[in-house]
Amino acid sequence: MIWVSWRQHRSQAIACLALLAALAVYAILLGSSMRSAFSHDGLAACLARSQGISCPAAISAFMNEFGSAVNIAFWAVLLIAPGLLGVLIGAPLIARELEYGTWRLAWSQTVPRTRWLAAKLALVTGGLVVLGAAMTAVITWYRAPMDRLTGHFLHNIYDFEGPVLTAYILCAFGFAVLAGLLLRRSIPAMIAAFIPWLAIRLVVEFLLRPNFQAPLTFRQYCANGCSGDNGIGAVPPLTGHIGDWVLGQPAGQSGSQFVRILYQPADRFWHFQFIEAGLFLALTAAALGATVWLLHRRAA
Amino acid sequence: MTQDDAGGSAPALRADRLGRRYGHVWGLRGCTLEVPAGAIAGLVGPNGAGKTTLLEMIIGLLEPTEGQVSVFGVTSRSHVAARLARVGYVAQDHPLYRDFSVADMFRLGRAMNPSWDQGLAQARMGALGIPLKRKVKTLSGGQRAQVSLTMALAKRAPLLVLDEPVSSLDPVARLEFMREVMASAADTGLTVVIASHVVSELERLCDWLIVLTGGRVQVAGPVDDLLAGHRLLTVPRATPDAELPGLPIHRTDSDRHSAVVVRADLALLAAHQRPGWQADPVGFEQLVMAYLQRRPQTAAADDTVPAAARPGLAAKEVTR
Repeated sequence: MIWVSWRQHRSQAIACLALLAALAVYAILLGSSMRSAFSHDGLAACLARSQGISCPAAISAFMNEFGSAVNIAFWAVLLIAPGLLGVLIGAPLIARELEYGTWRLAWSQTVPRTRWLAAKLALVTGGLVVLGAAMTAVITWYRAPMDRLTGHFLHNIYDFEGPVLTAYILCAFGFAVLAGLLLRRSIPAMIAAFIPWLAIRLVVEFLLRPNFQAPLTFRQYCANGCSGDNGIGAVPPLTGHIGDWVLGQPAGQSGSQFVRILYQPADRFWHFQFIEAGLFLALTAAALGATVWLLHRRAA
Repeated sequence: MTQDDAGGSAPALRADRLGRRYGHVWGLRGCTLEVPAGAIAGLVGPNGAGKTTLLEMIIGLLEPTEGQVSVFGVTSRSHVAARLARVGYVAQDHPLYRDFSVADMFRLGRAMNPSWDQGLAQARMGALGIPLKRKVKTLSGGQRAQVSLTMALAKRAPLLVLDEPVSSLDPVARLEFMREVMASAADTGLTVVIASHVVSELERLCDWLIVLTGGRVQVAGPVDDLLAGHRLLTVPRATPDAELPGLPIHRTDSDRHSAVVVRADLALLAAHQRPGWQADPVGFEQLVMAYLQRRPQTAAADDTVPAAARPGLAAKEVTR
């Protein structure tokens, strides 16, 4: 069965390796120039000395050079990339058999269809875990200098530098496998899986994640009254500690000289990663479990 | 409900009040029949009659809504693998993985069937001149059909189920395909169930007949018994059905006479013989056509007589 699954997913595996290789080449090129700029500008020493307060010009020069390429262009693509990858591989897994009528061949062999599905899911899921882990490693490596300025907690960084990336891919995959069984067509299954995946992904990112744990409060003194700008994304953040995630001000503060700022401290990063990865893996398990159950009792 | 009588004595195929509903519509209902080991059974019916539904329930691709079906005594869903191992299946249009080579298909067969006979598979491809390295998508329709058949045969299952195996093939490929089926059946004592609407094809091959229309079994039994149990009566057109001996299956009226296929044995016919009536033996195709054209209400009327294979019994009920 391992051979059968491998033979059927061989071309997908090759395409994924090509994708990973392209990402690695890009990362190595950009990552090494970022590394040399980082040491050339003396940023490491400045960070060690003062959390970056003493060298704002060097920081903004570095951010201007690399920040846009890293943050904006990549984020939009990479927001949807794990979902696209998951649905492209997941949707045809069953739907293609139904579309081409080969389910009659596959499920009339001596191996029962639930074992057929279990073997395929085990192999493909394993492949996606390896792929997700490799992508996480590549992205984490090349962004390392940037992360020393910004920490790991910002949206565009958090999503790609921990187990959540793999969990996003697996979740889209699971949704698509289930949709493929229900809709019996690959393309509609891709769409039907991607939309809820993206919705859940955005809800988790912007509504749930800031509250996985109750945020801490930082009191800031502003001699001239505080401006509306609470410095989200500034280096260092208002809390003065690189890596803290400043969420903003709670509502209803008058223009006093003290302003309270909500933030998640940097050391909660892994805790948050595991909570969020667990959430998406639970959704994956539910979708794949439902698929196995439906296929077992399915009758048409 | 595990294994009814899993022994050599179990029929190759037994269906007991088998039914399958799709939403509100019954695709097949009240299907009771038995096919003994070693039979070559033809399953005839128009499109949508429930042939594929019946076959898919035999294989286990489809679960019955009611009733049950057993293959060599294996009934239950808990014996899925045992059931699957007993049936070789050639689906309509011979589905294969297009980007696989023939060798890949066989490797899949070997990986998914413990009893796979690789020697048989390769020998058949050699004899048919189909190179193992060829990709499935480059094969002709007839070659694809042969690869499908080989997959089913190399599984070494005692029951071979063929769903419209030749409807997409040209006449030569048809002939070759059926010749291979018959040769394998003769060699290994396979039981074969062939669904087809090419009636003339079945006449040459089958010793068992099942006619299915509108989701109902119209008649099922050994071909010889069925032919012996039916007659073509030619009677004056004015004769009402009620006066005919046995069970009228289908009536064709011409200007002055009516030709009626009736289910009745010879003794009954002799007792009802009247001047001006003529009784002739029916042919295979005539018999099948009579049942295919039978009006649905008459089919429903004798639901309680699944054993249409026993014409004497059926005739008695009607004449009582």
